[in-house]
Amino acid sequence: MPDLGLEVLFKGTNMLRLLGGLGVALKISLIAVAISIPLGILLGSLMTWKNPVARAILRLYLETVRIMPQLVLLFLVYFGTTRWFGWNLSGELASIIVFVFWGAAEMSDLVRGALISIPRHQYESAEVLGLNKVQTYVFVIIPQTVRRLIPLSINLITRMIKTTSLILMIGVIEAMKVGQQIIEANRMSSPNAAFGIYLAVFFLYFIACWPISLLAGYLERRWKN
Amino acid sequence: MAETLLTINELVKQYGDKVILNGMNLEVHRGEVIVVVGPSGCGKSTLLRCINALEPIQGGEIRLGDEKIVYGSKNLSSIRQHIGMVFQSYDLFPHLTVIDNILLAPTKVQKRNKAEATEEAMQLLDRVGLRDKAKSYPRELSGGQKQRVAIVRALIMHPEILLFDEVTAALDPEMVREVLDVIVGLAQENKTMIIVTHEMSFAKAVADRVIFLDEGHIVEESSPDVFFEHPETERAQQFLNTFEFTPVKHPAQN
Amino acid sequence: MKTKGFKKLLALGLAAVTAVAFTACGSSTPAPAASGSADNGASADVYRTLDDIKADGTINIGVFSDKSPFGYVDENGDYQGYDVYFANKLAEDLGVKVNFVSTEAANRIEYLQTGKVDIILANFTVTPERAEEVDFALPYMNVALGVVSPEAAPVTSLDDLKADDQVIVISGTTAETYLTENYPKLKLQKYDTYANAKNALENGNGVCWANDNTEVIAFAKQNPGYTVGIPQLGNNDTIAPAVSKGNTTLLEAINAEIEALGAENFFHADYEATLLDTYGADFEDTLVIEGGKTAAQ
Repeated sequence: MPDLGLEVLFKGTNMLRLLGGLGVALKISLIAVAISIPLGILLGSLMTWKNPVARAILRLYLETVRIMPQLVLLFLVYFGTTRWFGWNLSGELASIIVFVFWGAAEMSDLVRGALISIPRHQYESAEVLGLNKVQTYVFVIIPQTVRRLIPLSINLITRMIKTTSLILMIGVIEAMKVGQQIIEANRMSSPNAAFGIYLAVFFLYFIACWPISLLAGYLERRWKN
Repeated sequence: MAETLLTINELVKQYGDKVILNGMNLEVHRGEVIVVVGPSGCGKSTLLRCINALEPIQGGEIRLGDEKIVYGSKNLSSIRQHIGMVFQSYDLFPHLTVIDNILLAPTKVQKRNKAEATEEAMQLLDRVGLRDKAKSYPRELSGGQKQRVAIVRALIMHPEILLFDEVTAALDPEMVREVLDVIVGLAQENKTMIIVTHEMSFAKAVADRVIFLDEGHIVEESSPDVFFEHPETERAQQFLNTFEFTPVKHPAQN
Repeated sequence: MKTKGFKKLLALGLAAVTAVAFTACGSSTPAPAASGSADNGASADVYRTLDDIKADGTINIGVFSDKSPFGYVDENGDYQGYDVYFANKLAEDLGVKVNFVSTEAANRIEYLQTGKVDIILANFTVTPERAEEVDFALPYMNVALGVVSPEAAPVTSLDDLKADDQVIVISGTTAETYLTENYPKLKLQKYDTYANAKNALENGNGVCWANDNTEVIAFAKQNPGYTVGIPQLGNNDTIAPAVSKGNTTLLEAINAEIEALGAENFFHADYEATLLDTYGADFEDTLVIEGGKTAAQ
């Protein structure tokens, strides 16, 4: 077996620090996802309505998010808000805001796609029963949309968890940053530690994302129509 | 004669330049069963969709009792509670169980007491022979069972009039009967209904009045006996002939 | 388009702020008391004066957390390194606690311009461009280019190289730029990574390897049989602390501290505590600047 410098993992509190870093990454992405999903559902529903102004604004929002690299958004929110408004957001809060901004846009597009895939007679059946537009969405369309969205949003969640590796740029210490710190601190004593540490980080991300994928699979089977 | 429940006056429906219903008039009386027949594309389904304001109309008016039915109007929800409708496609909500499909509108729209509504729902399910399916999901039901549930879902709203839009057209032949029997039962209770169907013997059995629609007009309007035995117009005759076959093999053998 | 997107961003931000308030999301990021800047934000001073910092009791210092041996985090999660050693001393002498903020090369200026840290002590090389954006204090370390070669055939001057001799460089480094500009006739052998350049030198593909002098010194120290024939090449740059533009009180306090520390040879002690293992004793005086006095002064 090649020397992976794995002994570095067990020096001092390194393992705990890596787990702590993963905790930070998970906390930020899960809070962001929890806010993005309802917000994305709301925006995605608005996107299917006929108001051209609302649709144009939402389209613009979506395109803005797609064009802007997440790193730029992180800088804008973390440093920009201080520059322009004197706000002093913490790195974690800035990360959550950016991830929600991004996640809600992606989610709204997924929702829009899922909504238009719901057959028209589902809307009509609800309407003829006397449900108003809001009730139709809340009780009939959105629950079905959510079921269709599960696999897509799982993809988004895992992408979000992976993208947390960018937030080190605004001073948030997450798993990837801790990994780099450990590798650098042991550059002399364990030059091969990079392999071992990145392997460990990979493994941590994997065990974080794996249950989410399992859950998605389970829900997908359970809700199969 | 009973009071007039539904009045259609000079109804015009167009899709772009294409005229579907061209100045149609119809009065439906309380307790009456009207069967609408006609070749496909004649506007039968469109008629029902207009009555329920699922489509905007381009001329004339539709009234339920004294209330005008206007596409997109604010009070549509309250009018629609008086109009039950069952579609050709299986339109149950796939994410809800049978009982939840049925209870959705009574509890959310009519704000009825859930226990009371559940009790009625179970009685109605019993009546259509599906009491044991209350907790099932639509995907676990056959097409005929789904349509019976759809009928129950419409009935629990206590509508004044029921619209059936080719409810058996998508069913396998052996399931058609179980659905039509339910509708026959409703006719016996003097429910007011407008039924669009291709099942001619069913139409004959259940209708008070048959309306033959072609090219946006009512071409013939008569009692089922008259319509099916002695149609007055040539077009109705032609239409009915499409359902008849003269034996071609056995006579030769005899 | 930009402003619209931004408004949306703000709206979402507010939503997120509200949501996060409920989830009681803790944060370890520093919260500088926005000295008089909260009310009119953009225009007012972003930085905290020396008095503000003393009143608060904590100074925020931006350091590297993964650039051993200048700023890194050890296996117990504590910040260490040449920069950190000085930062701790500075905070101690100012009578405040220190809060280290992990910075990256790319965001050091941004941190100062937004006042999110009071001082950057992150191997920050003084350049005229950067001096427009931030205020540098007195330097505490030299950086230059250096050239490492085999002990058997040491290269002590680039002018001595023969026509066929090739010099190894890593693409995109200062060394490449400098040699291309100043020694246009020199044959450069370019590699994309540190590891490839190292292999090339070991295989004798080139006669020497030019890189930052800290890098080549560390290389010679770790790899017996190699020597740094040229420890200082080209412009001698310096490393210095930096504060937000205009933060005079803090800048003066740092300068006074650096000058005072010169008397006790503090940075030599710092070197011996943090850099000796990597660079050895031979280059201590080449690298360390004591009391803010560069060789030229």
